[in-house]
Amino acid sequence: MSFDTHKNWTFNIYGKQVRIWQVSSGSTIVELSGYKIRLPQDYIGKQLVYPTENITNGLLFTGTASVEPFVEEALETTTVIASGTTISFNDDGDSAVGYNDIYDTGDGLADFTTGDKIRVRGSTSNDGDYTLTADAGGSRYIQIGTGNLTDEAAGARVTISQIPVETTTPSVESGDHVNCTRMVALAIVDYIKSQIAERAGNIELKEYYIKEFWGKVADNSSNRSVSGIVVPRATYAVI
Amino acid sequence: MTIQEIMERSGLNEESLAIAYIRDALNLINSSIDEDTKTWYRDIIKGSSTVDNYYPFPPDMIKLRTISIKDTSDDKYKRIRRLVEPPVVVEDVSP
Repeated sequence: MSFDTHKNWTFNIYGKQVRIWQVSSGSTIVELSGYKIRLPQDYIGKQLVYPTENITNGLLFTGTASVEPFVEEALETTTVIASGTTISFNDDGDSAVGYNDIYDTGDGLADFTTGDKIRVRGSTSNDGDYTLTADAGGSRYIQIGTGNLTDEAAGARVTISQIPVETTTPSVESGDHVNCTRMVALAIVDYIKSQIAERAGNIELKEYYIKEFWGKVADNSSNRSVSGIVVPRATYAVI
Repeated sequence: MTIQEIMERSGLNEESLAIAYIRDALNLINSSIDEDTKTWYRDIIKGSSTVDNYYPFPPDMIKLRTISIKDTSDDKYKRIRRLVEPPVVVEDVSP
């Protein structure tokens, strides 16, 4: 069993690979009544060893990626959202054989339409992204393809929000959008202008547009910054 | 914003080149700031004389932010630190 992995594991980078090391004490460790005890004999100091156990999904990378760069509809138009404690999930539901249903006895699903991509959050076992195959139930229920949902009664506060549908073959003809905010889209315009200027040999103009590009990217990031609130507390406050 | 609108605003007429530039710009943004973040999981395999400890980066990852290892005693992922220098590797012939 791995424990205190933030203290006992480390890594280093080799080109496009990462090497995972476990920090070993170089002596025998036994467990007694839940406590790990290092036996004093044969202690040879700390050393790095290969992982000493199999851990399913044990390694987690967090990084940036180009996530769904092109979508079929504008980010600003994917505004449909439903939230409440009256939403339930039915595997192979009652509305039609072969469909999974999301029901809302609070009738809050009216604005979803067939083909919408939705993101479910807050449920016990149905969080994820889905595509609607029908909205035949009006405001009461929506349908997705079979085999995707788990039966779940209403009770948890579930939020269903519309998200853009990705396209892997973007084109002008189909009216596809870039999956980003308007500010980033304007920054992309500046980036393209800089590349056009570079192709024309106008380096000064290219530098100007590159500055504009990074300025808009920075504006877009700073718009999301959240200011912290400092709350003064009494000398003997218990928190 | 549509691809067509971006092309019209920038004065570029070649569609495939415009799409390539848009991808370049998004990659540039993601390599500098955390615009689109993503997580990837990999199984850790016990090391042996035939199994090493190399794990390739996810192919679609642009910038690495953190690496974490699952603590199976409490089922939490804990961020690990990077070695400043590569270790001197010596094979233990009689473990």
